[in-house]
Amino acid sequence: MVNAVFDHIMALLIVGALFVGAVLVVPTMSLINLQTIDQQQLRNMALNVFNALLLDTGKPTNWGSMRDFQPNDPRVLRFGLASYEESTFYVLDPDKVQRLVKDNPLGGMDYFTVKQLLGLQGYGFSLRIIPPFNVTFSSVSVVGNTLSYSAKVSYLDGKPIPNAKVSATAVYSKGNDYFNISQSGPMETNAMGVCNGNMQLWTSTPDYYMVTLRVTVADVATLIVTSGQTFENEIANINIVGDTVVLTSTKEPPDYNQPPNENVWILDIVAFESQGILLYLYEGTKSGQNNKFNTGSGSFEVWSREFKGLHGSDPVLMIFNFWAIDPVTGQGRSQVLVTLAYPNLLGNSVFEYGGSWKNTNAAVRMQRSVSISDMTYTAELWLWKESP
Amino acid sequence: MTMKNRNKGQMRVIETLLASFIVVLALAFASIFATTPASQQYEATELEKIGYNVLHDLDDQGLLPRFVYNAEWSNLRSALRVTLPSDVYFNLTVYNLNSVRLDDGSVLYGEPLTLATSKHIASITYGLAGYATQIYPPRAVYEPRIVVLQLTRG
Repeated sequence: MVNAVFDHIMALLIVGALFVGAVLVVPTMSLINLQTIDQQQLRNMALNVFNALLLDTGKPTNWGSMRDFQPNDPRVLRFGLASYEESTFYVLDPDKVQRLVKDNPLGGMDYFTVKQLLGLQGYGFSLRIIPPFNVTFSSVSVVGNTLSYSAKVSYLDGKPIPNAKVSATAVYSKGNDYFNISQSGPMETNAMGVCNGNMQLWTSTPDYYMVTLRVTVADVATLIVTSGQTFENEIANINIVGDTVVLTSTKEPPDYNQPPNENVWILDIVAFESQGILLYLYEGTKSGQNNKFNTGSGSFEVWSREFKGLHGSDPVLMIFNFWAIDPVTGQGRSQVLVTLAYPNLLGNSVFEYGGSWKNTNAAVRMQRSVSISDMTYTAELWLWKESP
Repeated sequence: MTMKNRNKGQMRVIETLLASFIVVLALAFASIFATTPASQQYEATELEKIGYNVLHDLDDQGLLPRFVYNAEWSNLRSALRVTLPSDVYFNLTVYNLNSVRLDDGSVLYGEPLTLATSKHIASITYGLAGYATQIYPPRAVYEPRIVVLQLTRG
């Protein structure tokens, strides 16, 4: 009798252990499968989102180039960054990408609106646009009328790139009136990825100078880098929307008017194309009305002008020669402003948009090679599920 | 009689245990077939897409035929390095229709050990029909090349 009870207790214990083991092991095996399926679903979702971002033009097709664009403009019915002028895949419209720049003075699309348009409720995403390589200036100097520069070209992992073609464009001014642009090159980087160049200027010892390098690797990827402003821009911010150049106050609304409360004339506008060609768009005088604005009064958009075909020529850099009152001396003088046509986008730095995630294991990543303004970049998408 | 009943009880316990084992084993056996592919296999599919994207881009710009037919292997290597993500290792080989290797083996990036031992390598085969000798009137030479690009994450 005792033995039978003992046998039954033992059997109960073993069956109980088997039951507990099964309860623990079987769901774990299923969980691994479920996680794999979950990740595959996330990958499918990421692929759909990436295709929507990079291959779809959105609706209306030219939504990025619309004027009077309100923040999160309700006229945008579908979201996509592809160019409506190109039939080739993975060509992005810089006007549309520019709308993703935070604090775009001409209005942009915030993360939550874009998520809604893409139907991504419950998911988070991050889009990065990574330049293909790095260019760093080592030195820029002028002795007499010779400008010397040194720059290093390297892959993203820091290894030097030999035989990269480098063309230089110098923008310089002197005194109250002198403004000029000189170009030289191309020359090639050495085995250390270094390029040391000289160019002759049309005047000696300019007051202001800036060098722009157009660097091409294997004829496939190009970067435009500038040697940096030497003054704080308080005249105007330069924006391009479609074929229109729009100047906005450097201060945010509503208190965007700022001293000096003086007139500023635009004397020259030059666009630098991605192929390295200079486009002389405008030449004005110090007495005209069409090329005048005031930093101390008027609307937030201080000046705008349409230049037919500008968008199609893929401008990457804008050069402005202003005639303005120097706030320190109170005297009129020319002031040169060189800025990327699409700030935050075409430069050396990584463009980032979207949310941030904590656990990279729970996110999927996709990458594609894309073209913006005829220049090659890597677009990278991270997608993850957000906890409810 | 008592002995007989005790044995009967033990047999039932053993039967129950055996049945439980069989159920658990059946479940474990079934789960082997139910296992979905590892996520790295999806990663290889993603790398294939990146590879096609890059080769198509180069071909579209007319650079891939130039690099291949002019044997500009150094330029081809640089072009792949700047267009592929920096953590992607690659090995590109070019063959003719007789499977004779034509490149010099230098179109390679990454740790050779990683490329040799990685379990998940994406392989992309891209065909080039020939090269243009004259733009207008258009004229081309038919000389097929098979470009094989292998990719893996570093």
